[in-house]
Amino acid sequence: MKNIFLTLLVLLTIIGCEETVTIDTQQVDPVVIVEGLVTDRNQRHYVRVTRSVGFYDTVATEPITDATVTVRDNRNTVVNYSHNPNAVPLANGYYLSDTEFAGEVGIDYTVTVTVDGQVYTGTDRLNPVTDIDSLAVIVNEDEFEDPDRDGFFYEVLFYVKEPQDTKDFYLFKFYRNNRIVRDDPTDIYFSDDDLLAEDIEGVPTASFYTLGDTARVEMYSISRNGFLYYNDLINLLLGDGGFFGAPPVNPRTNMSNGALGFFQASSLSEAEIVIQE
Amino acid sequence: MSTLKTALILSGLTLLLSTISVGQSKYTINGYVSDSENGEELIGVTVYVNELKTGTATNVYGFYALNLQPGDYTLTFSSIGYQSIVKEISLAQDIELNIDLPVEITQMEEIVITEEAIDANVTDIKMSRNEINVKQVKRLPALFGEPDIIKTIQMLPGVASAGEGTSAFFVRGGSADQNLILIDEAPIYDPSHLFGLFSVFNADVIKESELYKGGIPARFGGRLSSILEVRTKDGNNKELEGAGGIGTLASRFTLQGPIKKDKSSFIVSGRRSYVDLFLKAAGEENTVFFYDVNAKVNWKHNNNNRFFAALYLGRDVFDFDDTFGFDWGNATATFRWNHLFNDRLFSNTSLIASNFDYKLELDDESQGFQWTSNIQQITFKEDLNYFLSPTNEINFGYHLSYQRFSPGTIEPNSDKSLFTTVELQKEYALDHGLYIENQLKINNKLSILYGARLSFFQSVGPSDVYLYEDVTNNIDIERTDTVAFDRLETIESYFNFEPRFSARYILNPVSSVKISYNRMVQNTHLISAGTVPIPFNTWAPSSLYLEPQLADQTAIGYFRNLDDNKYELSVEAYYKDINNVTDFADNADIFFNEDLPTEYRQGDSWSYGLELMLQKNEGRLTGFTSYTWSKTERQIPDVNLGQPFLANYDRRHNFNIVATYELNDKWTFGGNFTYTTGRPITLPNGKYEFEDYQVDFITERNGFKLPDYHRLDFSATLTPRKNKGRSWQSNWVFSVYNAYSRKNAFTIYTRTQESDDEVIDPNRKEARLIYLFPILPSITYNIKF
Repeated sequence: MKNIFLTLLVLLTIIGCEETVTIDTQQVDPVVIVEGLVTDRNQRHYVRVTRSVGFYDTVATEPITDATVTVRDNRNTVVNYSHNPNAVPLANGYYLSDTEFAGEVGIDYTVTVTVDGQVYTGTDRLNPVTDIDSLAVIVNEDEFEDPDRDGFFYEVLFYVKEPQDTKDFYLFKFYRNNRIVRDDPTDIYFSDDDLLAEDIEGVPTASFYTLGDTARVEMYSISRNGFLYYNDLINLLLGDGGFFGAPPVNPRTNMSNGALGFFQASSLSEAEIVIQE
Repeated sequence: MSTLKTALILSGLTLLLSTISVGQSKYTINGYVSDSENGEELIGVTVYVNELKTGTATNVYGFYALNLQPGDYTLTFSSIGYQSIVKEISLAQDIELNIDLPVEITQMEEIVITEEAIDANVTDIKMSRNEINVKQVKRLPALFGEPDIIKTIQMLPGVASAGEGTSAFFVRGGSADQNLILIDEAPIYDPSHLFGLFSVFNADVIKESELYKGGIPARFGGRLSSILEVRTKDGNNKELEGAGGIGTLASRFTLQGPIKKDKSSFIVSGRRSYVDLFLKAAGEENTVFFYDVNAKVNWKHNNNNRFFAALYLGRDVFDFDDTFGFDWGNATATFRWNHLFNDRLFSNTSLIASNFDYKLELDDESQGFQWTSNIQQITFKEDLNYFLSPTNEINFGYHLSYQRFSPGTIEPNSDKSLFTTVELQKEYALDHGLYIENQLKINNKLSILYGARLSFFQSVGPSDVYLYEDVTNNIDIERTDTVAFDRLETIESYFNFEPRFSARYILNPVSSVKISYNRMVQNTHLISAGTVPIPFNTWAPSSLYLEPQLADQTAIGYFRNLDDNKYELSVEAYYKDINNVTDFADNADIFFNEDLPTEYRQGDSWSYGLELMLQKNEGRLTGFTSYTWSKTERQIPDVNLGQPFLANYDRRHNFNIVATYELNDKWTFGGNFTYTTGRPITLPNGKYEFEDYQVDFITERNGFKLPDYHRLDFSATLTPRKNKGRSWQSNWVFSVYNAYSRKNAFTIYTRTQESDDEVIDPNRKEARLIYLFPILPSITYNIKF
């Protein structure tokens, strides 16, 4: 809702035209990017360590395979991470915890990443999350009449009670048959609770479903730092080049020493529903 | 340096006081000068006393007064576009002399230039000021055939635009919110329709518009960089007159006429766009339209008492599928009373109300909401002109405004909506301005205008003001206390002294040198981190966490008329230094933020430039050409690592030609050409992947430049000959916008590479240039009866 600029950009592209141009980028020193998540699920958690690349490079990012990665909580429990232990080709740059562990509410988790002698750390608190009450399936009238994809006109709604006495931040992920779905590839579904009433009833999730699909909704608690990170990230992804909106700028990170990205600790609640007549 | 200026001004004021008591045995000639056809008062008409080789000019209300020794005089009243009138008078008592100036019969005939030609460019003390000739604007090529003074303003020297399709303009390194835009003295907070495609000014009702870029008179205050003063017509007090126009995008109609002949008149004008009707016809359920209504009545009881009431209403409405919509608009009302306390003391008392508001609405059972915000202002102004003698005039006055800022309320609009009602605190302010200035002709060569404005600004309650552990920490916001203020209780007050000074020295009959200095204070801050303001931006008053913005500007100019005053040449250089310019932290959350003060970052801005302008006001070919070289930088704490960066609207070179050519009484041609350096933009030098998002890596603020902007437009106005002797007249304006279809960059954004059939390659990113208008022809039909 706060993304008026997106609406404006869409309006502009309606009345205007656009074309691809080459911008005169300069060679800059790469920075280390850290992406990591600890949840309250008992499992092996991941940290991804990469390096930024040039704007016109033909890779998305450059995995760093020789970093040292550990996660420590504020009770001094340390978990070591190893690079791509199963040697999956597409998982270069991903580090998995050597042991399974479950994050705990109220605990601070700190990642320490060492790359070429440089140390990067980031801390996030694991906050509680409320349970998703239920999911419901409806037929979306517009999609039913004119579906983008034949048969895909079911919409999944979710119901939850937002605790009014705490300050909460949420991140949502939606899956169709275990594959993440978004209405637009740059969408991020997240919210603070500043404007939220207690009863969240029948809020639509992303994408449309067909009979037999399994829809899953994941709701993550995030910290205020996490909220700011995703907020900054979406502003950067959807920026209009500083015309109506602010000039693009790197998201505020919880990583130190000039690294970008975010190390996140979350509680997770989820719900699943199978699309039936 | 500023203390020296203060001393100069104080000694000047002493000089002024000593001159007030002299000149007892003189008499006064005064009156109003108006257009003989429609009774509109004329602004800036030269009233020249041939015997004394001096004179005065009518003020913005069309009034003049001359205090002279008894004797016989020849007075010449002259103004561009009008026949001059010469009056012989014998002054043995006070005389009231109202003059009706006839319009020049036809532009085609050689005009006999009176001996004191219209050489105001050289002789007037004013500099850094441009009048916008509305008659000419109507014959210039216009986007979608809708004549717009703002589009012409954007081509003036010292003025930059952010690109096409915007009504924002940037004066001498000032941001768009640093322009005070006045319609009949009431402030307009957002002058845009359709996000800036058009401005709110309907060309049919404009009587006069003038842009002050420097040497700003003391009667103006409140913004740092410019004053755009638009005055609407009073209405024809001789006969009923109607006019209308049908354009590609909008139509307008104006009706004006006497209520009581020569005493009282009215004017009503409306304009509405009708894109929505086309959209409806095309089966679209989306609605987009705007409208403007201007209305004015006046009662000219006698020369001593004249009353005016003016109203402006304008609104934009967007509606998508009946579910999502937003609208915004300005509403202003002005009541004025012109009164003569005595034959030399002219008073204008105004009561002004202004409102700007917007609303966003989503109709949805589970996510419906309504978001509203507004800014309201009531102003009282007392402005006095004291005409001491033809060489000495004093202006002084007092202004008081009460402002209410309502930054936003969000309410659910269905029972099941996930939203709860949240209202951001309102803010209130009292703004006092007291000013005096004296225009003095020291001798035939040297004139000075000096004065000062005292600004006293109070941010007042009711309010609960939060105190912060560290107000610049926008991540871990820690409120330490809340202080409650009662209604009208002062939260913070700011006192500022704004000296103003101008001088003109005539080198020879065709050239002069002028200098000016002004300090301006701005206590109303726009909450926008972009280049071009949008209607959904809010405003905030100076308060505990926002200090007044201050600008000091010095300008020097050389003015020369060529070829018997046919051409006016001006060269001006300026330096402007802004303190406390309001900006925002990187990644600032400026929408609906209860802790907005944590995002404020005030810093410095400085700008300098050289401006050339050659103008031709008479003959078949009229218009101007301008060239500006300028540079504008900013330095803001926490932004760009605290290093200086080019302002978003910095433009190194800016070249414009605006011209109309009257071929014969049937055809008039118009043309615009503009060329400017592309504006700075922030783009990535690198990229990375986070989850599966392709993210730009930004290394510097405004380190890139958009491609240069250039565009050529043409127009042809056809006035059918059969108009003659007919009770109604019509003309056709044919326009071609962007004649060679240049793809001018509006902005550039980046995305993950996408092929023409929308296949995404997550390993590559690309930059996309948005351009708005290719070649665009349009036709407008105008009728007048």
